[in-house]
Amino acid sequence: MLYFDHSASTPIHPAVLKLMQDTELNHFGNPSSAHQFGQKSRLVIEIARKQMAQAIGCLSSEIIFTGGGTEANNLVLWNLLHQQKKHVITSAIEHPSVLNVLKQLKEFGVTFTIIPVDHACRVNPEDIQNAITKNTGLISIMFANNEVGTVQPIERIGSVAEKNGIPFHSDAVQILGKIPINISDQKITMVSFSAHKFYGPKGVGVLYLKKGTNPKSLVIGGGQERNLRAGTENTSCIAGLGLASELGNKNIAKRKTHLEQLADQFKLEMTDAYPEIIYNGHPEHSLPGVISATFPAVTSNILIIKLDLQGIAVSSGSACSSGSVNTSHVLRAMNMSNDHNIRTLRISFGRDNSKEDVHLLTEKISEILKQHHNKR
Amino acid sequence: MAEKVIVGMSGGVDSSVAALLLKENGFEIECLFMKNWDEDETCPAAIDYKDALQVCNTLNLPLHSVNFSAQYQELVFAHFLKSYRSGKTPNPDILCNKEIKFKVFLDYALELGADHIVTGHYARIEKRKNVYHLLKGTDSAKDQSYFLYLLGQKELAKSLFPLGNMKKKEVRRLARKANLITHEKKDSTGICFIGERNFTQFLKKYIPPEPGDIFTIDGNNVGIHDGLMYYTIGQRKGIGVGGGFGDKEAPWYVVEKDHEKNQLIIAQGHDHPSLYSTTLKAVDLHWIHSDSSNLPETVTAKIRYRQDDQSCTLNTENQNSVFVHFEKPQFAVAPGQSIVFYDGEVCLGGGVIDG
Repeated sequence: MLYFDHSASTPIHPAVLKLMQDTELNHFGNPSSAHQFGQKSRLVIEIARKQMAQAIGCLSSEIIFTGGGTEANNLVLWNLLHQQKKHVITSAIEHPSVLNVLKQLKEFGVTFTIIPVDHACRVNPEDIQNAITKNTGLISIMFANNEVGTVQPIERIGSVAEKNGIPFHSDAVQILGKIPINISDQKITMVSFSAHKFYGPKGVGVLYLKKGTNPKSLVIGGGQERNLRAGTENTSCIAGLGLASELGNKNIAKRKTHLEQLADQFKLEMTDAYPEIIYNGHPEHSLPGVISATFPAVTSNILIIKLDLQGIAVSSGSACSSGSVNTSHVLRAMNMSNDHNIRTLRISFGRDNSKEDVHLLTEKISEILKQHHNKR
Repeated sequence: MAEKVIVGMSGGVDSSVAALLLKENGFEIECLFMKNWDEDETCPAAIDYKDALQVCNTLNLPLHSVNFSAQYQELVFAHFLKSYRSGKTPNPDILCNKEIKFKVFLDYALELGADHIVTGHYARIEKRKNVYHLLKGTDSAKDQSYFLYLLGQKELAKSLFPLGNMKKKEVRRLARKANLITHEKKDSTGICFIGERNFTQFLKKYIPPEPGDIFTIDGNNVGIHDGLMYYTIGQRKGIGVGGGFGDKEAPWYVVEKDHEKNQLIIAQGHDHPSLYSTTLKAVDLHWIHSDSSNLPETVTAKIRYRQDDQSCTLNTENQNSVFVHFEKPQFAVAPGQSIVFYDGEVCLGGGVIDG
């Protein structure tokens, strides 16, 4: 079995799994309890908070643990209901946990402007500047896109936000362990992360909240996480997230090179076998190891099914809960035709992939394309 | 090499058992779940997919999913709405079989390298003298040949209906024995994309209602209807005119929809002669054997699913239309519905009731 869908989820790091098992066994106490059992659990959580803070370059007190990236995004957006300025500027390529929430928030008087992207999936910061109104209370732009890997001009967007005194949120679930980030250098107010995208467990994430940012909780209860996320902490998952963030940040340069080499090899071999292939996204500003490629001869679903039957996992970027492939709103936003949209595959490499794996992948895809060609 | 088949998995008990039977017969099997409707709020397809996934896991068969909602919109739903707008009562499931299951899905399966597709329909396919015949399912209560009359030789040649010889009870028994999670799942009712929803509410989203007068067959104005498309010929409930109106305490029935005047015409009593006809004209004909020249003189027909066979004779008007004369008067002949012809257990084809 070969797995090339790391943008969807990653296999858990063995050391992370071990830590989580130990935590479940030894630190089951409620972190809010006064006794030693509780105190031990509290310590585990605070270690994780420090690890995460170090990995992204911020203060421990700026980290809130959530139930995942989607929840972190929801926490940010639902807070619009508590503020005077209810206009949001976002982009056409955001995750559904941003775009669908905004659709829902319309009912409560929230308005929003959706900024387009260019053919390489990049937002133009000037468009954001031009969309700002007196009523703009939030800018929410993804750090790097999950379907094509394009990294956004976050610094310049941050400058626009800062200049206008508007909070800036970024969904950064795709970047940890792939590109270094030092949040204190950035003009970002809030950032969402998700552990299972960096070899941690599912169901746990982080919202970075710049000092002085005080939203209200979505989940009301016992006041955990600075009153921002009630409910007894999921200690083992939080511990797993902490370690995963540390491991993700360690040797990041080496990891990046590894992923880039795999992507380069794929492109070299695939273009050789199938010159009609089109690569999407930005040539420079891109996540390492994420490839969006259009195969004009065959629909992505056929490729996915045929590869899956041989134990090879790739994706089309946008799957729904019934497992079927829809056209991608991201590719549409990049002005791609529907015909190419449904012929586009996402391949996202990970730490366990080797050169041999990539070679096998390009070989199998070439075989399928050849079969397909011969049948026509 | 084993013959490769692709099973259309719906997440129901019938397609589950179809897959099971094929597996026992040594085919190379893949399963494909079809999503034909992009849901608004609820997602019944996601639930059905999860059921299909569990069945395939139990049977150790690979499952994949495809989304044909765009094709469904264009090839089925658009026609469905058009027909409703003109006051007719179309049957989208028949069109879905022709345009989606036995065209888009079939082509997709062939592209994936299948020799045949498999569905859980209660009908049989037999090759006699190089001609493929569509036969009724053995379980007369479940026979689904009515929904399949638009298939042709190519489709029948490429399809397998493993449940054609089976009774529903037996199908459920096999499902239970094989531990398939769908063994007790309720049969789907109504039109696939509407599911359990209120049909009138659903239709209102797509076609603006145009209220008009209700007249009795004798010309008395007795009320106001919500829009002709919400009524079907022969309909008794929901007209808004109770029994007890008029001479006797008998219920009222829809006998006609006058589209030009936007009037609903009703008559009292199930036996009212205006509810019955002995002839009808069928158009958009399709013959499964493609050659209609040697049709038997007397055939039987069904003007709705599950109706008993009705003896009739056919007078061909031209290539595309035929007059049907029934031996016995037929209750509530509804324009837009399909009439399907049989010679004994063989489905000959059919057409759409004109009006």
